[in-house]
Amino acid sequence: MSLWVDKYRPTALGKLDYHKEQATQLKNLVQCGDFPHLLVYGPSGAGKKTRIMCLLRELYGAGVEKLRIEHQTIVAPSKKKIEINIIASNYHLEVNASDAGNQDRVVIQELIKTVAQSQQIQSSTQREFKVVLLTEVDRLTKDAQHALRRTMEKYMSTCRLILCSTSTSKVIGPIQSRCLAIRVPLPSTEEVCSVLTSICKKEGLLLPPELAKQIAQKSGRNLRKALLMCEACRVQQYPFSADQEVPQTDWEVYLRETANAIVSQQSPQRLLEVRARLYELLTHCIPPDIIMKGLVTELLSNCDGQLKTEVAHMAAYYEHRLQLGSKAIYHLEAFTAKFMAIYKKFMEDGLDGMMF
Amino acid sequence: MDEPCVGGEAAPSRLNRWVDPSFADLPGERFAPSRRRKGSQVEPKRPRKRRGESGSSDPRTAHLLREPAPGDQDEPWVDRYSPRSQAELAVHKKKMEEVETWMREHLNASKGGVLLLTGPSGCGKTATIQVLSLELDVRVQEWTNPSNTEPYSSSQHDWRTNGSSCSSQLAPFQDFLLRANKYSCLKMVGDGAAADGKLILVEDFPNQFYRQPGSLHDILRRFVKTSRCPLVFIVSDSLSGDSSSRFLFPREIQEELDISSISFNPVAPTTMMKVLTRISTAEAGKSCGRMCVTDQAVLETLCSGSSGDIRSAINSLQFSSLPDTSLEKGLWRMKDRRGTTLLGKAASRATQRRKKSKLTKEPEEEQAIGGKDASLFLFRALGKILHCKREKPEDAEAAACAPGPGLPSHLSHHHREALLVEPELVVERSHMSGEFFNLYLHQNYLDFFSEVEDVDRASEYLSDADLLTSDWTSRSTMGQYGSSVATRGLLHSNSQHVSVGFRPLHKPNWLLVNKKHRENCLAAQYLFRSFCLTPVSLQTELLPYLAKLTNPMRNQAQIAFIQDVGQMSLRRFPGRFNLEALTDKEPAQLDKDSEEEEEGQGGGEEGLPASQPQPTATQVLLEEEDLVIEDYNSD
Repeated sequence: MSLWVDKYRPTALGKLDYHKEQATQLKNLVQCGDFPHLLVYGPSGAGKKTRIMCLLRELYGAGVEKLRIEHQTIVAPSKKKIEINIIASNYHLEVNASDAGNQDRVVIQELIKTVAQSQQIQSSTQREFKVVLLTEVDRLTKDAQHALRRTMEKYMSTCRLILCSTSTSKVIGPIQSRCLAIRVPLPSTEEVCSVLTSICKKEGLLLPPELAKQIAQKSGRNLRKALLMCEACRVQQYPFSADQEVPQTDWEVYLRETANAIVSQQSPQRLLEVRARLYELLTHCIPPDIIMKGLVTELLSNCDGQLKTEVAHMAAYYEHRLQLGSKAIYHLEAFTAKFMAIYKKFMEDGLDGMMF
Repeated sequence: MDEPCVGGEAAPSRLNRWVDPSFADLPGERFAPSRRRKGSQVEPKRPRKRRGESGSSDPRTAHLLREPAPGDQDEPWVDRYSPRSQAELAVHKKKMEEVETWMREHLNASKGGVLLLTGPSGCGKTATIQVLSLELDVRVQEWTNPSNTEPYSSSQHDWRTNGSSCSSQLAPFQDFLLRANKYSCLKMVGDGAAADGKLILVEDFPNQFYRQPGSLHDILRRFVKTSRCPLVFIVSDSLSGDSSSRFLFPREIQEELDISSISFNPVAPTTMMKVLTRISTAEAGKSCGRMCVTDQAVLETLCSGSSGDIRSAINSLQFSSLPDTSLEKGLWRMKDRRGTTLLGKAASRATQRRKKSKLTKEPEEEQAIGGKDASLFLFRALGKILHCKREKPEDAEAAACAPGPGLPSHLSHHHREALLVEPELVVERSHMSGEFFNLYLHQNYLDFFSEVEDVDRASEYLSDADLLTSDWTSRSTMGQYGSSVATRGLLHSNSQHVSVGFRPLHKPNWLLVNKKHRENCLAAQYLFRSFCLTPVSLQTELLPYLAKLTNPMRNQAQIAFIQDVGQMSLRRFPGRFNLEALTDKEPAQLDKDSEEEEEGQGGGEEGLPASQPQPTATQVLLEEEDLVIEDYNSD
């Protein structure tokens, strides 16, 4: 039994549930023969990968769905061995090159070279190019991106690239200009609701529209998250009730409690407790920038309107440092301390105001 | 080869030659051809050894040495005044008693034991053994590493037949131990009353043991089984982190073989002062006025400069009291400058520390003495930064008036009294990289702050410091700036410098947390690669929800991982990270062994939803897996 997310993933461009106009455009793109490099971008959970897989199926037929996971070892010029997981079919290759850390340049060059150097055997019946799908392009180093630019031109005849990223801001200009950029926006709340209802129907469940709406809002229109939530709701309670509590992930609840702890008391001892909680989050695989983001959201909802600009400003400042620095805890803690100081001062001023 | 030129030294060489044949006569294929070699190789080694150490290997030869030839100017004072009785020994009474009782116990018993003496260099470990063995009338047999140069110069044939002995020092060492244990020494002519007991001393470890401590342990196990006389190991601690005593004698071995361990402290300043005074008076008396008694203040400088290393203190005393050196004048000048601070202060610990910090302000003073650079234990180094000692306000007022105007009024809240410590020096002396020092500071600074505003500024400085050292290409250059920013930032932002009393210090959690974070991320990607998700959405969306679903996982590892990582115990206060207290003496070390703790407290017990298939079975399986892993490790 697989997850609903995987089970009901549409496999053809025609079966996509939303952004149908874009789907037809993609279909046309495939049919007109000349297929460019693509840069697919959009927020997490919008359906980028689903769309790309549909596109590949349109290109090559059902053969692309026979996936296998390969474990490949690439030797860098420095004799360092890089191990990387590749998901491949006969026609395409999916790689997350950022797994290789700062050696990603080597991975990209080697992989694309090997793919591109082998021609398709029956070019008459099939496409004459293979596709390399690179995920998380925004996390590639600049080095790797420049290598990519060169490789893209060189092997254009036998190989097409589909790049997948959450935003284009970290993709360098030359790559953007060599690709056809396709933005996949998040589905609207109504679209999420309709997807949820239709899937529940297929499962033989009755989903009250209120609950569907609640899930859609809680998930932040992230369809993957919405489906997971919906499935968790099913585990929690069935038949569904309209005012059912939508289960949230443990780390989100934990982060909210952390934010509450920060707001309720501002002292070095409290900061020590918060630090322990931050460590706990980190060991549970939550990336530091997500922690930062979640913390700010919770804190902002807790504090007075006057403070919000300053808090957001400080959050941006420390988030930037988080990206630049090497040890996340310094910056997370510095932000927390900053918030404590700002908040405490504000409360004290408020008290003084009340006195006079 | 330095043939003995001093009159008294003819004796030991002869003695050695006497000793050697007794070994060579023993049946043994390895020792038999080494007769000639041994005679010529140990001989030059011993006098050299004696010069370096405060005592010599053999009490009898040491005895002979200690009658200084008249007019012998070149003999180091360290040798001339090496301690002859317990009273002269600059070691704490308690320690001495400890060693003495151990020796008495094990000399009288038929079965020998193993003793490990540790401590910084020059704190009198060897001297203690020498003195005690002299008093207890025990013969000391010491191992010295044979040098391998000799076989090459000797006949080719000899070397070839004896090839194995120059390849490794292990076999000779083992032979030495077993033989020394088995056979008592021959009675020498002129020995007088023969010593009843015997003690084996190993101070010089064959290099092989540092590469493979296991081989030492094997030899020791064999020794302990058959031992008849006590065996003493002396290992000097170094501050730079690679604690060889812990490496050579890990705790398990110490327990297994019942090795008693006695750790020496650096020589206390008062004791050292006594010794130095005694030596300088004696020298002055002997020189009949050519040399005057060295001034008390100079002695104190020497004493504090040597940081508890009595050997270097005596050496520098001898050096500084050489007639007609310009150095002496330097010292005298310094004394005048320091005169005021020194007056009326007993050499208590606190003032000692203060003096040291005074010293650090003028680096040229330390160079003048030629003492060794002082080093600090991490505990004290952190304390110096965190406790933030500043001058008393009244002192500072006088000081502030003198040099010029203070800060303008709008900056007056940034005014701080002068520091008593130099942060950069403290970091340098802690023998750690600045980054690592910062981690320690970060782990501990919150305990020393009382105001959130101060914490805010301090944490910002720490964040700055991290930023400075983030780029690996420039890290080596920026590291010092980073630690400077962090330490000075912490010192400056601690505006309420109230003394907080003793606070326990802890080792940083970050390394452990970071390691676990990375491991867990990798494990997540590996275990759930079939979902084809990006790491972020895998870790923040899929895993936590998988923990809430009834979906049967594909294998046990996935279930275990989800229980450990996907779920968080919400209400409980995070008790996962047992704070590891930093002890007083702990030298700086990058501990990579701290991952043994925890694991399995992650909250698996209460976790499973009721509908999860066979929770009991999974638990059992998990335990089995654990067992297997342990087995693997122990191999």
